[in-house]
Amino acid sequence: MMKITKNSISAIQKTKNLSVFIMACFLFIGFAAKAQNRTITGKVMDEKGQALPAATIEASASIKTLSNENGTFSISVPTNTLKLSVIYVGYESTTIFLSNKTNYNVTLTSKSIASEEAVIIGYGSAKKKADVVGSARTINAKKIQEMPLANALDALQGKVAGLQVYTSTGEPSAVSSVRINGVGSLTAGTTPLYVLDGVPISSGAQVSLNAQDYESVTVLTDASATSIYGARAANGVIYFTSKKGSASRSKITLNTQYATSSLLTNTKDFFNSVMNTKELTNFWVATAYRTQAQVDALLLTYPNDTKWSKVYYKDNAPSKQLDLSISGGGDKTTYYVSGSYFKQEGLTYRSDFKRYTFRSNINTQVNKWLSMGINLVGGYDNRQLNPYGSNSTNRGLGLLAGPMYTSIDPLTGKNYEFIPGWGRYHPNYLADKIRSNSDNVQFTPSGYVQISPIRNLIIKTQLGAEAYDFTTSSVQLPSYLGSLNNGSTNESYTREVNRTVTSTAEYKFSIKSKHNLTLLAGNEYIDDKSKSFNGSSTGQTDDRLTLISNGPNNRNASSSSFAYAFLSYFGRVSYNYNAKYYLDVTGRNDQSSRFGKENRSANFWSVGGMWKAKKEKFFENMDWLSDLTIKGSIGTSGNSSIGNYASLGLVGTNQYDGVTGFGISTPGNPDLSWEQQKLTSYSLNFSLFRKANFSIEHYSKITSNMLLDVPYPYTSGFANVTSNVGSLKNSGINVTIDYDVINKKDAYFAPYVNFNYNKQEVTELFQGRNYWIIPNTGVCWVVGQPVSYFYPIFNQVNPTTGLPEWYNPNSNPDLIVNTQTDKSKVTSTFNSVGLQQNTGIKRYAPWTGGFGFTASFKGFYTQCDVSFVKGKYMINNDRYFYENPNQFPGFNQSRTVLNYWKNPGDVTQFPKYGVQFTQFDTRLIEDASFMRMKNLTIGYNVPQSIMKKTNVITGCKFYITGRNLFTVTKYSGPDPEVDTNVTLGANPNTRQIAIGLDFQF
Amino acid sequence: MIGFLFAGLGSCKKNLDQFPADSIELSQAFKSLKDAKTWDAGLYSRFRGITYGSLMFTQDVQADQLNASLDFGNRNGNPHRWGQSFLADDGALTTAWSSYYAVITNINLALASLDQIPTTSTAERQELDRYKGDGFLARAYCYNELMIRFAKAYEPATANTDLGVPLVLVYDINAKPTRATSKQVYDQILKDITDAKTFLATAPGALGSTKFTIHAALALEARVKLQIQDWAGARVAAESVITSGLYPLANTAVDINAMWKTDLNKETITQCFVSKPNELPNTNSIYLGLVAATGKFTPDFIPSQWVVDFYDNTDLRKAAYFEKKTLTIQGVDYPNIWLVNKYPGNPALFTAATTNYANQPKIFRSAELYLISAEAGAREGAGTAVAALGRLNDLRVARGLPALVALTGTPLFQAVKDERFRELAFEGRRLFDLKRWHEGFTRSLPQNSAFIQVGPTYNTLSIAPDNNQFTWGIPSRELTTNTNLSGAQNPGW
Repeated sequence: MMKITKNSISAIQKTKNLSVFIMACFLFIGFAAKAQNRTITGKVMDEKGQALPAATIEASASIKTLSNENGTFSISVPTNTLKLSVIYVGYESTTIFLSNKTNYNVTLTSKSIASEEAVIIGYGSAKKKADVVGSARTINAKKIQEMPLANALDALQGKVAGLQVYTSTGEPSAVSSVRINGVGSLTAGTTPLYVLDGVPISSGAQVSLNAQDYESVTVLTDASATSIYGARAANGVIYFTSKKGSASRSKITLNTQYATSSLLTNTKDFFNSVMNTKELTNFWVATAYRTQAQVDALLLTYPNDTKWSKVYYKDNAPSKQLDLSISGGGDKTTYYVSGSYFKQEGLTYRSDFKRYTFRSNINTQVNKWLSMGINLVGGYDNRQLNPYGSNSTNRGLGLLAGPMYTSIDPLTGKNYEFIPGWGRYHPNYLADKIRSNSDNVQFTPSGYVQISPIRNLIIKTQLGAEAYDFTTSSVQLPSYLGSLNNGSTNESYTREVNRTVTSTAEYKFSIKSKHNLTLLAGNEYIDDKSKSFNGSSTGQTDDRLTLISNGPNNRNASSSSFAYAFLSYFGRVSYNYNAKYYLDVTGRNDQSSRFGKENRSANFWSVGGMWKAKKEKFFENMDWLSDLTIKGSIGTSGNSSIGNYASLGLVGTNQYDGVTGFGISTPGNPDLSWEQQKLTSYSLNFSLFRKANFSIEHYSKITSNMLLDVPYPYTSGFANVTSNVGSLKNSGINVTIDYDVINKKDAYFAPYVNFNYNKQEVTELFQGRNYWIIPNTGVCWVVGQPVSYFYPIFNQVNPTTGLPEWYNPNSNPDLIVNTQTDKSKVTSTFNSVGLQQNTGIKRYAPWTGGFGFTASFKGFYTQCDVSFVKGKYMINNDRYFYENPNQFPGFNQSRTVLNYWKNPGDVTQFPKYGVQFTQFDTRLIEDASFMRMKNLTIGYNVPQSIMKKTNVITGCKFYITGRNLFTVTKYSGPDPEVDTNVTLGANPNTRQIAIGLDFQF
Repeated sequence: MIGFLFAGLGSCKKNLDQFPADSIELSQAFKSLKDAKTWDAGLYSRFRGITYGSLMFTQDVQADQLNASLDFGNRNGNPHRWGQSFLADDGALTTAWSSYYAVITNINLALASLDQIPTTSTAERQELDRYKGDGFLARAYCYNELMIRFAKAYEPATANTDLGVPLVLVYDINAKPTRATSKQVYDQILKDITDAKTFLATAPGALGSTKFTIHAALALEARVKLQIQDWAGARVAAESVITSGLYPLANTAVDINAMWKTDLNKETITQCFVSKPNELPNTNSIYLGLVAATGKFTPDFIPSQWVVDFYDNTDLRKAAYFEKKTLTIQGVDYPNIWLVNKYPGNPALFTAATTNYANQPKIFRSAELYLISAEAGAREGAGTAVAALGRLNDLRVARGLPALVALTGTPLFQAVKDERFRELAFEGRRLFDLKRWHEGFTRSLPQNSAFIQVGPTYNTLSIAPDNNQFTWGIPSRELTTNTNLSGAQNPGW
């Protein structure tokens, strides 16, 4: 951490000299009166050689000075002074041991080591990236801050090998689903642990926080990095570090952005696939569903040709973003204060998000041994969600509307309230009359006190919380035609407070200047309490008076609550020999209220090693090889993402004749314990010519004692009981390549590529089964195979008979895991259960990754990020509705249904009319692999020379950013990115184009 | 400082014991008579959950009286079409199976635990007994409902070998029961009814009781004994309720109409308590589909013309069960179409300006007992034919029909069947009556084929007597989770 130019004195000697120094001090005090003075000069700089003004240089409490604005100092000290301390807020303090020289240059290392340089690996102080044994990849938050989206995680898609990010809806308040190195659990949670400045936060909090406040995001993947988080780390850890002020300069930043959202191109393709009036009515007549006379009569009443996608979806919905931050610091205190405003409209009606945030990060060095800091983060947001998803014909399946109907009243030219023919309300009318508004007030404070009672020992206590109040007001106006003069109102309120208290003691020391050790011990207590209540009434008669109190009928109230707690102890020993050989050992004990009393406590551990091979003599002279590092680690962690009371047999309540009643709600499982994971990884990292960096990592995750909802016969009274059974293996590789092709002062071009290949294998199930098909999902767990789709396999439409044909699966139900596609064993009798067999199609995509580049030339810069997923498959349930004219007669259909069998010899997609066109079979399992341009930004930094002419503005940047500009996919539905096995009526992701203007003052 | 922190952790430790606020631990749930009373209320609440709704209309949709409208959106289409669209993984089968067993599970636990509750007086003992009686009766009810769905029609000759349903009488979540024989299940049902009669001896019958009474036990006994062809037993049980005189048949247009529209308390031996907004029942909402914006109707299922015509114009039930409405189907209006209006929703239970289709579920009513007595008498033999015809005519006359004369044997039985058709239409009985009588059917004569689904799986569907799908398949999930059932699926599934 510390480096003193010219005169390199290591910290190790210092410890050794401690006693000498103390004696010297006494001597100094005793003889001070007799001392003579001499002048010491020097310069204080940061790692980049920038001068640090106002650093404190002190010989004793009474003899000290500050560096000037050039960083230089001059101090007169008694000749017998042995050392000077150099203290600067936000930087590691250092000591100059005085010799005969009188001039010293001092380089201080930033405590909050600049984003990509510093990595926080589970508690304790940050480490330099080079010293990190665990697998951790840090993203400079700048790379995700220009995106026109509330949820910062979306922008991480394709940025980090092994990090899978999917955003499943186009709602502005969408939260992404995130996984690290494959799906590590079958029914317990798979979301990583999110930590913000040392405090765990919920995954949902992402949309409520301002990504502009982040300095960096670090993804921790291997056991050495994650095991110290114990029972919650099985899915990996994502660590967010917020910005801090810098004492060296004050900065005012104002970021502004305006964006518009529109439909993705592939969504439009899907929307255009339904028939127009002529096509549909011709189809009706051709199939004798309707006679020409009936059609003519219908068209007389409804002579239109409506594109219903334009009714159910808007175009060019706006979003705005405004962010102001002021940061800086003085002698001992730094601050970073920010406020922001974000507003985005979704493309569907009643889809909206508005957010205000503020943050105040203050850190101060109270005295030599005490420092403290407090981060206050608050936010308020307002969300509206379109509720008509899935199989609702008010949007999700709205395109089933007959194109002959219209949403516009020809008499008035205005929207109908109730669309004649189609028989549904206009979506705008629904949004207008049935409202639902959610408010979230988020408070995420944290604070720490850190003392250093003796040199190199840091004791730190941090308190943090994530608290929110979430209210939803739902109103059905009394003027709504569906319940005229009888409105309804529902108000719900939830408060959840999660508190974390973490105390750590960290001691660093070195032995013989080569053996560097850091010892860490700590404990953590987390508790979480949530309570909700809900009130409602009906019978409101006036649109202006819609409170609960205005509704005289059906007044109702309810409340609920839950709580959980974790208590943990942990420790870590980090050792390195001469910064060449590294060894990290961690241990953790966790207890949680969620598990059975007898199994409450669990221990987790990890061992990790790193070899900085480049430092070996053999490699030292190879100039082309600028770095060679080999890492390996093994360790355990846990998953506790299940219900709060799953271990308990519980009796719930109901009501009869106004009297409370009992009934068993869960049978409980007193033996319930953690899901365990054992993670082994090793990696090779090397750099060539100081330009190209390669990282290749192999990992193997074995999940055992899985927390699984084991299916029980219904005769037991229960469908599932959560139990610890079975095991799962994920193994794979992560490859990352960065290449600084051009790295000059004026020009920069650095492409990157990364990818992950993950192989999943279920290694053991429950009840001795070799497979288990999860009913009505198409998904099967098969021992020895990845989670796979089990579905009837479609062969063809028989050209002779016009009947659909499916392959008969193996007649032995135990053997349906072996795919049987024998042309001589087909049937035209559909049976969703009897015909299901292993399709060989994987549920989870094995390949994910991304590529792109950053480039700059003079003031211009550009960033391009493309992410890809290969081998992703989904059941496109939409097609069951859009390609099934017998099942859904009278509704509009996809143009593809025209390709049905008519005469012997026809080779067609669909069977003869009268036979069900589409069944739930392999035809619906579609390849939803995709390549998506997540980001393309082109910007311009106005040169300093121009800015200097103004006295106010020191920096100015403008840019244009596109999100999801294009998508390459074979998937025929609205959006391939939806993260599910079965998709129906998805609200697709959107495409945004944003322009931004940023100022610095 | 560290010492201070670690000292504080002691208090954290106790927070590791967390209990939910909305539930209590199982081990704490049977401590006092008050707990017993709470379990009893819980039983009734769950019992209400297994009446009406899909547990009733699924079999009516499957039977011969309804046509699917063009706007039915494939809701309940699988049972309606039979054949390869109605499979053992159908949600309707799973719902029925799991719902009844969930109630049975609660009863098994309660029956085993209620005895452990200490009582200090005869009154308390009687109270506890009554709760046990409720449990026995509800369990018998559930097993009977399971049997009529998932076991073939009871035939005394083969009942010893015919497969019934798994008989679960003890709370044990790890049990993997096999299918008992039909005889074993019905023996248990009768035993439960006998126990219920014993324990409910202190619960006298009362018109419109929302709790089980001795008469409820007798009504179930009559229903069950008719099912197992114990004609004398069925008749005796039915008669003992009828002759109590507590449940006279409604015999005016106003009363019969009000019985179904506004839940007028007539001829009901047991009905579920309902109230808005917290104690609303399952609803039979498939028949009307009121579109509030237009006041017109878009139902899922529409009665066939011959079904409406089966009711004489003087039949007071015709106006109570059906009503002519204006339909909107696929954007086209059709005025004056008969719709099933037996469950229009009681305005007293509406939670909005228009109907929520909530009506008070009627579990046992005396009209069914008249029919049971008549059918049992007609089938028992010539000796009871006159009494049987008498009970049939009691019902006919009350409903505004002329009394029949001099019927015996097959014509009498046929007249009872016809009357059952009329009286119990859309109460979930028709399909299982056909099954019991070993009759098939052919759907025919819709009101208008322009607004219904047409084709051989819809309006012209023909089903032979004893078609395998009269007996529902055991839910396929059950066969895979319980290895003891794996070879025991019903034929044809």
